[in-house]
Amino acid sequence: MSASTDDALMQIGESTAEAVAGVLRIFCPEDGQIVAGLVAAVPPGTHPMEGIPYPAVATGVSYVDGVTGGNVFVMTIKGARRLAASMMGAELPDDAGELTELDLSAIGEAMNQMMSSAAMATSSVLGKEVEIAPPELNQLADDTAAVQAFDTTPHAITAQFSVLGEPCRLVQFIPNAFIVRMNRALSEMTTEYASEYADGPLSPLVHDMPLRVWAELGRVKMPLDQLVGLPVSAVVELDREVDDPIDLYVDDLRFATGRLLVTDEREWAARIETVYGVRVGPPPLPLTSSPPTPSTTTQGD
Amino acid sequence: MARVLVVDDAAFMRKMVTDALTKGGHDVVGEAGNGTEAVDRWQELRPDLTTLDITMPEKDGLAALKEIITLDPSALVIMCSALGQESKVLESIKLGAKDFVVKPFQPDRVLDAVAKALG
Repeated sequence: MSASTDDALMQIGESTAEAVAGVLRIFCPEDGQIVAGLVAAVPPGTHPMEGIPYPAVATGVSYVDGVTGGNVFVMTIKGARRLAASMMGAELPDDAGELTELDLSAIGEAMNQMMSSAAMATSSVLGKEVEIAPPELNQLADDTAAVQAFDTTPHAITAQFSVLGEPCRLVQFIPNAFIVRMNRALSEMTTEYASEYADGPLSPLVHDMPLRVWAELGRVKMPLDQLVGLPVSAVVELDREVDDPIDLYVDDLRFATGRLLVTDEREWAARIETVYGVRVGPPPLPLTSSPPTPSTTTQGD
Repeated sequence: MARVLVVDDAAFMRKMVTDALTKGGHDVVGEAGNGTEAVDRWQELRPDLTTLDITMPEKDGLAALKEIITLDPSALVIMCSALGQESKVLESIKLGAKDFVVKPFQPDRVLDAVAKALG
C-alpha cells in the first residue's frame, strides 16, 4: 500500500473520529464530558476489539452503496447507560446495571447520528455520497465474544474516547474493497483537479491533502550483491552531469525539471525550468535513458 | 396548541420529540415507527401536524410524505433528518413538507419549526 493511501486512510480515520466527537458533545455538552483520544492504525495481528473493558455494548453501522466497510462504537455498559441518561436529560447512573429498551434505542440513535455525520465527512474526503445502514446493537460479555462477533479486515483504525468518564472506542473496519474504491475516487479527483488547475484555483477539498514532493538528482544501476557490499565512504557515480537538469516528482509523477541551487542560507533549492503539470497515468519518462529499476533518489517531504 | 402525530423508527427519538412538544403545550395524539404505520395512523387521527423521520424501515419518510400529501395537499408535515441527507430533505420540501429539523437537535428547534408551520 502506498504512502498516499495510508495518508488518505488516516485522514478518513481522523475526520470520522472528529465527527463522532462533535455529535457526542451535543449529547454531553458539559466541559470534559467527551474527551477525544488517540487515532491509530491497528497493527497487523492485533484484533481491533481486543483490550476493551468488557462487558460492553457495541453498535455497528455499515456503509451501503457508495463504499463498503463499517464502523463500530464500543462502550462499557456503564458508559452506555450514562450516555443514554445524558441524552434524555436524566441523572447519570453510577453503576453498570442493566440497559433498558429505551437506553438501547438511545444508543442506537446516537450511533446513527454519529455515523451520518461521519459518512458526511467521509463523503467529502472521497468526493462521493456515502449512505449508511440502520445501526445494529450487540452486547458483548468478554474479549472472546467480541473477537468472534467481528471479522477482522485487512486494515482497521481505532479512535479512543472518554465518554462521561468511561472508556469507549470507535473501530473503523476497512476491507480491501474500500481501499480500491477510495483510490479510484482519489484518482478521479486528481483528474478533475488537474483539469481545473488550468482554469482556476484548486478546489478547497484538496487544499490540505498531503503530497510527497521530491527531487531526483540522478540514477544508478548496480547488481544487488554489489549494492549490499558497498562500504562506508564508497563513491557511487550517478548518470547525470553537473549541468544537467534535475527531475521533480509529486507522488510518483514527474511534474517538472529544474536546476539545483544553493541558497544564501546554504540550503539546497531547485529552480523550476519546465512544468509538465500533474497528469494521471504513466509519468513522462525521466530525462535519462536508463530503465527505472534500482534508483538512487533524494527524497524529502 | 396542536394535535401532533410523531413518526420515528427509534423509540428514543419519539420520546424526545414527544417530550419537547408536550412541554411546548402541544398534544401528541399518536406515534408510528415506520412509513406504513404513519399513513394508517394519519388517516385514523387526522392530526393538525405530523413530524416525520426520513430513514425508516419498510416505508421511508419520503414515501409516507407522498401518500399523506396525496390524501390532503394542505397537510402540515415537518421532516426530521440526520446530517448528510440534504438531497432527501430538498426532495421532501418539493413534495410539500413545510419544514425540517436536523438531528441531533435541541427541543426548542422542534417547537420553532412547529410554530412556524402552524403559522
